Amino acid sequence: MQITTSEFRKGLYIMFRDDPYQITDLEFVNPGKGSAFFRTKLRSMKTGRVIDYTFKSGESVEDYPVITLDLQYLYRDGDHLIFMDPETFNQFTGEVAIVGEFADFLRENETYPIMLHGEEIVGIRPPKRIVAKVAEAEPVIKGNTATGLTKTVVLDNGVTITAPSFIEAGDTIAVNPDSREYIERVTS
Amino acid sequence: MRREKSEIHSTWERVRDGLASAEPCFVREQVVDATRAFFKERGFHEVETPLFVRYPGMEPYLEVFQTEWRDTRGRCYPGFLTTSPEYAMKKLLAAGVGPLFQICKSFRNREDVSSRHNPEFTILEWYRANADYLEIMRDCEELYRAIATALGTESAGNTWTYRGKTIDLGTEWERLSVREAFTRYAGVDLQRDLYQLVDVARDKGYAMAPENTWEQAYHQIFLNEIEPRLGQTTPTFLYEYPIAMAALARASANDSTVAERFELYVAGIEMANAFGELTDADEQLRRLEAERQERRLLGKTDYAIDTDFVHALARGIPPSAGIALGIDRTAMFFADVDSIREVLWFPADELFQ
Repeated sequence: MQITTSEFRKGLYIMFRDDPYQITDLEFVNPGKGSAFFRTKLRSMKTGRVIDYTFKSGESVEDYPVITLDLQYLYRDGDHLIFMDPETFNQFTGEVAIVGEFADFLRENETYPIMLHGEEIVGIRPPKRIVAKVAEAEPVIKGNTATGLTKTVVLDNGVTITAPSFIEAGDTIAVNPDSREYIERVTS
Repeated sequence: MRREKSEIHSTWERVRDGLASAEPCFVREQVVDATRAFFKERGFHEVETPLFVRYPGMEPYLEVFQTEWRDTRGRCYPGFLTTSPEYAMKKLLAAGVGPLFQICKSFRNREDVSSRHNPEFTILEWYRANADYLEIMRDCEELYRAIATALGTESAGNTWTYRGKTIDLGTEWERLSVREAFTRYAGVDLQRDLYQLVDVARDKGYAMAPENTWEQAYHQIFLNEIEPRLGQTTPTFLYEYPIAMAALARASANDSTVAERFELYVAGIEMANAFGELTDADEQLRRLEAERQERRLLGKTDYAIDTDFVHALARGIPPSAGIALGIDRTAMFFADVDSIREVLWFPADELFQ
């Protein structure tokens, strides 16, 4: 199936010069005189190498067929992650590197939207927001009401992030797993 | 008052909570101060021209924001936000007000927010009468050195480090013609192949459709093979554009196939666009009419030509040169950040998400 640049978005899989790539970055460019272009970063599905390429607006490419299935995360085995289709009990194995940074946020037995090309895991569609409990945080200094202060906190999944100074151990907070940025406190 | 929680919090809120730094915006403030001081010290008049106008720029590939002014009697005047203050500033040149500069907002519709674009952005334009565009190049060199000095570097304005790469601002900046750039970085002979660029691009492996124009092929080669290499040691002035790519510029005195136009690239980023200004009213009118025709073909908003601008040229305007320079991108460079969003307190995607 042909897809045009107007359908491009981050995370999309395309065939580019006979090889599969994922669009990891996408930006509009207008050189002023001349129609619009799209500046992309493409990650090779074969080598993991990232290349820069600028497409003409309206250009089309062949898509790389990927389906999304809700798979249950079972466990990690070295550099591999094992998932299971809860309907058919089929197991799928994917490399940790394919899941990227989100690997640290996976919780056993939870289901995640997993992207498959045939039987092959090619990626995960990570949620924009996850909630996690704060396991460790430096204590709040009494009387310090100044704003703009931050501290480092450790979440219950072992991930370390920067959060506002009022966050304490035991709080539940929302985090963007992609950027690892604090979003907000969910409960106190 | 409750509000919906969104995924991305506002920049002000992130600064308040210590999750974002205000420093890049403070660098921007210093860049603007240093810029204003630079031109005032050199005897330029600072002018303010309308942002809401009846006749905006005619560039075929820029789209405008349209609105209207209604008076108390209900009369309605359609108007537009300017894509640049160029026409008004040239009228002031014709009035004998020069040299002059302006720092103002400009607006471009039908564009996305990106690391280098915001629909509302800040533009610096300056014009010199009885000058050519080589003098504008020297202004650029001195302006960037003045900003670097004002920001207080150890190198006294001679170098600036952007994203780990040190750019030499102190020695004479590279001057590279468009023709040389295509030969050096893309192995393309523009002199011979300008109008065959679609075939050249196809031979290079770019996907070319029957409706693609030589200008699209030009930009695809330029954006992929040339732009990333420009301005990496010193900033680069890319100059002498094919005449068809410079609607407001005059032809070069040495070569009538190229126009006196340059773009400034710093660390691969386009910072400015300058012209040896076209001062021939008849030629200007012909080009504006052709551009209006092209706007209609492209389905862009149609409006009349600013005949007052053509009239200003007809009344006589000295040989002049001028430039539009992006303040947001310049601030991004001096703040050493990846995106102009970081030097904007209120990027448009936060306002309209």
